[in-house]
Parts: sequence; structure tokens; C-alpha cells
Amino acid sequence: MGPGFWLITAILALLSVGAAAFWIIVPLPMGVEQAADTAVPTDILFKVLAVIGSALFIYVFGYIVYFAIVFRRPKNAPANTIGVQIHDAPVLEFWWTVIPAVIVLGLAIASVQLLNKIYYTAGDVLTMEAIGYQFGFQFRYPKLANPVSEMHIPVDTPVTVHVTARDVIHGFWIPEIRVKQDMVPGLINTVRFTPTKIGVYPIICTSYCGIAHGGMHSAVHIDSQQDFAKWFAAQQGGTAAAGGGSAAGAAIALSAGSVSAGQALFGQKCSACHSVGPFTQKIVGPGLGHIFDDPDHPKLVNGTAPSPQDIAMILKNGYQGDLGVMPSSQVNQISNTDIANLVAYLVSLSKK
Amino acid sequence: MAVVSTTTTTVAPHAVLDHIHPEPTSFVRRYIFSIDHKVIGIQYMITGLLFFVLAGLLAELIRIQLLHNDARFMSPEVYNGVYTMHGSAMVWMVIIPLVTGGFGNFVMPLQIGARDVAFPWLNLASFWMFPIAGVLLFGAFLVGAPDAGWTEYPPVSLQGPVGTNYWCVAIFLIGISSTLTGINFIVTILKMRAPGMTLTRMPLFVWAQLSTAALSMIATTALAAALLALFLERVFGIPFYDPTKGGSPILWQHMFWFYSHPAVYIMILPAFGIISEVLPTFARKPIFGYKMIAFSSVAIALVGFMVWAHHMFTSGLAPWLQLPFMILTMIVAIPTGIKIFSWMATLWGGSIELTPAMLFAIGFLITFTFGGITGVFLAAIPVDLHAHGTYFVVGHFHYVLYGGSVFGIFAGLYYWWPKITGRMMNERVGLWHFWLTFISFNCTFLPMHWLGLQGMPRRVATYLDSHDAVFWNQVASISSFVLAASTLLLFGNMAWSFYKGKRAGANPWGARTLEWMISSPPPYYNYKRVPAVLATPYDFGNPLPYIGLDSPEGTLPTPQLTAPPAPAPR
Ligand code: HEC
Ligand SMILES: [Cu+2]
Repeated sequence: MGPGFWLITAILALLSVGAAAFWIIVPLPMGVEQAADTAVPTDILFKVLAVIGSALFIYVFGYIVYFAIVFRRPKNAPANTIGVQIHDAPVLEFWWTVIPAVIVLGLAIASVQLLNKIYYTAGDVLTMEAIGYQFGFQFRYPKLANPVSEMHIPVDTPVTVHVTARDVIHGFWIPEIRVKQDMVPGLINTVRFTPTKIGVYPIICTSYCGIAHGGMHSAVHIDSQQDFAKWFAAQQGGTAAAGGGSAAGAAIALSAGSVSAGQALFGQKCSACHSVGPFTQKIVGPGLGHIFDDPDHPKLVNGTAPSPQDIAMILKNGYQGDLGVMPSSQVNQISNTDIANLVAYLVSLSKK
Repeated sequence: MAVVSTTTTTVAPHAVLDHIHPEPTSFVRRYIFSIDHKVIGIQYMITGLLFFVLAGLLAELIRIQLLHNDARFMSPEVYNGVYTMHGSAMVWMVIIPLVTGGFGNFVMPLQIGARDVAFPWLNLASFWMFPIAGVLLFGAFLVGAPDAGWTEYPPVSLQGPVGTNYWCVAIFLIGISSTLTGINFIVTILKMRAPGMTLTRMPLFVWAQLSTAALSMIATTALAAALLALFLERVFGIPFYDPTKGGSPILWQHMFWFYSHPAVYIMILPAFGIISEVLPTFARKPIFGYKMIAFSSVAIALVGFMVWAHHMFTSGLAPWLQLPFMILTMIVAIPTGIKIFSWMATLWGGSIELTPAMLFAIGFLITFTFGGITGVFLAAIPVDLHAHGTYFVVGHFHYVLYGGSVFGIFAGLYYWWPKITGRMMNERVGLWHFWLTFISFNCTFLPMHWLGLQGMPRRVATYLDSHDAVFWNQVASISSFVLAASTLLLFGNMAWSFYKGKRAGANPWGARTLEWMISSPPPYYNYKRVPAVLATPYDFGNPLPYIGLDSPEGTLPTPQLTAPPAPAPR
């Protein structure tokens, strides 16, 4: 087999065992915290793959280097010195087909098993929605009227997240939870997991989504049950005001609104989506010319009666309903003063 | 050991082909619009290497940007264009044209004893689509380069700059070129082999080209359809992919990957072929398991058609639908493993000469194996749900495409350079090139694996600095600068050799496939008399299996039957 073949084989075996031991012992094979139940099977599978892969690589690498050294043609040998003229070795070939086939089959079976755990893990105690847009994430919770820009989930609670997108495909990835689904506009994909470790972890977009793709991340807060309850109550209490994750509370002072300033701003920020005709004269959103005096639409799209303050809240927090998405003030980049001006303008429209 | 197989003694050289056409004399017909497969092959190589330099420079721009996690070296717009063009150009303007149009054209007809490909004019047309497509693609930089990556997923690619339209047209064009080349090669290989060259006596490079040609011919049509639809949607607003108008973004992914997964085999199978020629020559041994290597090429090509959705495990396919794709993907590892083991066994007991070509072939075995193993990681859906869309994937495919295809191209260049130019490259510079490339390649792409696993997504101009991401990116970037510099050694070597290199003679390596039996560079007509073939080319212990060959004097290697260095296994 060549000088020292068995010695080399033994050394490679030792190295493989060493590598295997390393992968088995190391607690976090990918170097990433485990913050949910789904991380565990993934890491186990990763370890299995790493053990097999390392051994395979060590042997291939080791033998190739060894062969290249010991079977090197001596410097003084003539150039047409030939090697061993062997064409095949059926027994050998049989085994190096069958053994990998068995390994691959084993891996496939293991993956299917673990996949069951990941895809069909318990969920549904908290069911929520994550929405990707250019360039951020929004989250909707049951019993919260408005989407929020922070994701909070209670520890040790099975969570189901339905992910989708508003504009283009985004990725929803939380490395510490080891799950990822694409957020595809018009489709709803689902991830289920049970968070197990309190902390704040990044949510990262993994599908190119436009200029600012690299900056598209958010955070998931895995809270204790109490903290989550507190946070959620605050959101509910302040539904009217606290959406979009902005500072909760106070109504916006509208008295100083200027109609002319509002009109100018409307032309810049709103007219792409809204006409000043009746409700039915739609562009992207409804016409806004008669919000206060349209008998066919006595209520605003979010169900509240049209009052200047309620309209201001829609402008502040945005709203997503059957018609589509009304962006929040953060997205529209308008200040509270701007809102006051816009509302004054809208009020003036209805009076005509 | 039987000298020649017994059934072949009746085969005679093909008499009809003794008629020789004169070589065209005008410069244009000879070097620009030539229909000679060798000239076309060289044209492909020159154009491909030119784009390799351009696309490589783009890669260095990417690496400069990523030296820092919040870099302002390029604006995000520019950066997105740069990485998109890097990927698109490397796949379609560099690797595919080089391994099929370049090496395929130059080497394959010579290896089967043909005087040209079956359809020389078609070949000319295929070639000229390539530089036109390349200019169109790079022209996109002038109007706003496409920005959504080489995969151009809609809907975001529907929003992309005007250059995205150029991209569609350019890729469409190169796709047609590649389909036509596929057809041309299939007919050539099936119909124009020298008498006596049965399928199982073909050099393995020819087997690889045959499998590749079948892939190009069939798969590329799906790409063409997908591109056409994208173009129509972008330019005329016909909704194929936009979900708000009833289109399906997932449709693009299916069509794109139905082509692009086979495309990775279009890129790697010819490299396999190159390795299968280089290894036996420099080990002075028959290739181990000839039939299994040929068979596994075909098997990979076949199964390669049924694994495309492994790129879409996070796209929302039904779980039951994902399973067959995972299992079939893993199954590809089996024929690939057969090849790797057979090549290792070819080294065993050899009389090995570590020329630059051989070193790149050996380097290929190591890096490609690594990339193959991480491929199995990605095939396992639970791991893919974590690693998809991250730098782990970027690391993986650079191991198979750079450490595989490009190392194969380097090996092929060193190997066939004397045949193409008639001159030798400087061996010492070649060795430096190999070692610098091998080391800097690994330092560039290895860290990407953990960068990805620990949270760095691909296609980003800025990234979070967690888990020492900045440090490892700097390691990768600095190594990539060395990698680029090491490639200059190759180009310098080629330029030097072209003017000053030692004359090569017909067969400087003592190889046994047919192309080495004629002078270097080969004459216009290749074979004055087409030889008859009596056996596979790799039996270094036997006399050459060709009859009726006008051998240039003093070049045919007479095997020196020394005792083998080691006993046979078992
Ligand atoms: C991207 C398009 C878009 C832009 C820009 C936009 N809106 Fe809207 N807006 C909508 C949509 C869509 C709705 C309906 C939401 C629903 O009910 O689903 C809406 C709803 C509204 C409503 C509630 C109407 C009703 O009858 O209840 C008001 C008020 C409103 N928008 C005001 C504005 C103002 C003021 C601006 C400018 C600052 C603005 N919008 C900018 C899309 C937009
Ligand atoms: Cu693939």
C-alpha cells in the first residue's frame, strides 16, 4: 500500500476521532446561542454532519497529500516511468459506493425526523404575524389593533409566527432560534418555536430586498411571562396611541393646524395614494375629500367615528386594513405639527 | 495485461477524410470570423479570461467594502450593482464559456480525432453571441447596474434599475449561445468520433463535455423562458411575477433554479473532465474506474435535474414537497464521492510529477471535496433553514466554483497551454501561483462559513458586528487581495511564455490522448489522416492504441516498464 500506509491511516483515524470528540463536546457547534427549542435539533444535526464531514475530509485530504508525497516520481527517474497499471478494484468500489449511500440515507432519515420536530413543533399559544417591508419589520398581535415595530414574545410559550411581506421578498431569520422563512408578498409562511432563553436577539433579513437590505434588521425580545404581560398591556392600553412602537400616550395637539401648510404637505406626501374626491375615488388608499360628511362611510377604515383626533391617530400610527397599508408617520416622515396641519386641511375639505 | 482489445483489429483509418481543405489566408477569416474550432476555442478563452479579470476586480471592490461593517467605500446602490455583476459575470461570462466554449471547443474535437465540430458556422455564431452578451452585461453599468444578485428574484428585480433589462437580454443571449453549443457538441461527440473510438474508449473529458452539453441543451431553455417573462414584465408590465397583479414570485424561483442548479453541473462537470485527464497523465497511470467516472457524470447530470428546489427550502414549499428534493440532493453526493475516491485511487501507486497542472488538480480534489461536504450540510433542510441566504452559502459555492471550476480551469490552462501555443510556461512561476492561490483561497473563503452561521446574511453592503464579524471579514478581504495578486502570476506567465517560452513539441507531458499525437499547435486540419482507435487512452503500460497516425517524430512516449513501486491492493 506504500510505505507507512497503515501508520498514516492510524493517524488520520486519530485525527478524525479528535475532530468528532470536538464536535460532540462543543456546546454550540455554530457558535450561536440557543434561544428556542428549535435550535436544539438543528444543532444536533449539525454536529452529526460535522462529525461525518470532518472524518471524510480528513481522510480525503490526508490520503491525497500522502499519495502525492510517497508516490512522487524520484527526481532521477526517467519521465516515462509508469505507475501501477491498475484499472479498478470492484470490491473497493462497491464499498465506497455502498457506505456513502448508507450514510446519506441515514442523514436523510435523521433530517426528516428533525424536520418534523421543527416544522411541527408546538405553536399556537401565541399566534402572531411578522410583516416585512422595505426596510423593516412590523408585528401584529391578536387583540392589538395596530402593528408594532418591536417583537416581544414570552419565554417558554409556544409561538407561531406567520410571516409575509408587503412589497418584495424579505427573509425572516433569527439565528439564535435557527429558523428562517422567506417573507413573500401574497404568501404566508409559518415558523413555530418555543423560546427558551430570555434576551434580545437580532432578526435579520436574508433575502435581498433593495438598496438598504444590509441595514434591515430588528430585534426579538424574549421576555419573562410577567414582562411580556406588562408590555402587552401597555400596548393594549395605548392602542390608540402606542402603535408603531412610538412613545405611547398623549393625543396630538391639533388646534394650531394650518390649512395651507397641510395642503402643501398633502401634495408632497399623500397625493400619490389619496385623491381629494369621495371615498370611492381610490388611488392606493381611499379618497379623502369627504371623510366627515360621507353618509356611505360614516366610520373611518379602522372603525372609529371620524373625529380629527382619530384621523390624527391613523396618520401617526398608520393602519393596515382591507384596502391596503396606510404608512405610519415614521414611514411618511411627518411630525406632529405636520399631522395637525394635514388634519386641518382634511377638515377644511369636508366643509366645502 | 492485454495490449489491445481483440475486437478492434479490423478497424481501419477513415479514408474519406483524407481530403483536406486549405486554410483561409485572410486575417479576418483566420482569426476573427474563423470557423476553426481551435481558433474559436482560443477566442472563447481570451474573452472569458478578460471577463475573469473584470469580474475579479469587482470581487475585490466587494472585499474592500466589507473591510468595515459600516463602510462608505461605495454607496449601497453601487455596491449592489457590483456584487450582482460579479456573480452574473463569473457564472455566465467566465466559467460557463471557458469550460464549454473554451476548453470544450479546443480540446474535445482533437480528443475524438475529428477535424472540427459538426456545425462550424453555428459554432462561430455561438461564439460571437458571447462577447456581445458580455458587452451588454457590463454596459448595464452605464445605465444603472442590476442590483438584485445573480438570481434576480422578483418582485425586487422588477423595481431594479434599467440595467436589469440589459442583464435579461445579455443572459438570454449567452443562454442561446450555450444551448447551441450544447447541440453542436452532442452531435459532434455522437457522430464524429474517429473509427474505433467507442463510447467507452472516449477520453473522460469528452464524457464530461457530453453530459454538460445535454444539460446546456435542456436546462437553458427554462432560463430563457424565465428571462423573457421577466423582461416582458419589466418593460411592458405583463404580470408574470408581481403578486399584486396576480403573478407569482415563486414561479421565477422554480424556473430560474430549474436551469441554475443544472448550471452548477455545467460549470463543474467539464472541470471534472479536465481533472480526469491531468491526473492519469502526471501519475502515469490509467484513470481508476473509468466506467464509474463516466457513468457518474451521466448520473449527476440526470439527478441534477431533479434537485432544483433545494434552493427554495425557505420559500414556503409544502414540507412534504421539500423531502424528495432533500433526499435527491443528498443522493448526488454518492456519484460525486465515487469520482473523488476514483481520483484518489488514481494517485495511489502512481509515478507522480507535481507540475502546476497536477498541483491544481490535487488542490481541486481537496477544495472541491470540502465544498461538496458543506453542500450536504445545506441539503439537510434543518441546517439549511439556518444557513440559507447567509455567508455560509457564499463560502460553500466559492469552494465548489472557485476551488472546483476555476482550479479546474487553471489546471486545464497549464495542461493544454503547450498544445494551444506550442510553448511551455515557466514551471517555477506556476508553482508559486499554485501555492499562493491555494493558501489565499482558503483564507478568503473559509471564514465565510462561520461568518454566515453566526449571523451575516449575503448581499449586504453593511453588516452587524457581532461574533467578531469585522475581524473575519478583514481576514477574508486581505486574503482576497493576495488571491488576486497571485492570479497575476498566471497572466504574466502566459504572456512571457507566448513570446519566450521553451518550444513544447507535440507531447511535452507524455500524455496519451489523441490531441497530443499531433504537433503543437495543431495544424489547421488537425489530422491529416484520421487515426483508428483501439483502446482507452490511459494504459500507460501499453503501446499507444492508435493506428494510421502520422506521428511527429520522436514524440511518442515508449513506456518504460519498470517494476511498479508498490503491490496492488488486497
Ligand atoms: C402608500 C400609499 C399611502 C400614502 C403615501 C398615504 N396613505 Fe393614507 N391610506 C392608504 C391606504 C391604503 C389607506 C386605507 C387603509 C385600509 O383601510 O386598509 C389609507 C387610509 C387613510 C386614511 C383613512 C381614510 C378613511 O376613510 O378612513 C386617512 C385619513 C389617510 N389615509 C390619510 C393620509 C394622509 C394625510 C397621508 C399623507 C401624509 C396619507 N394618507 C398617505 C395609503 C396611503
Ligand atoms: Cu443547486
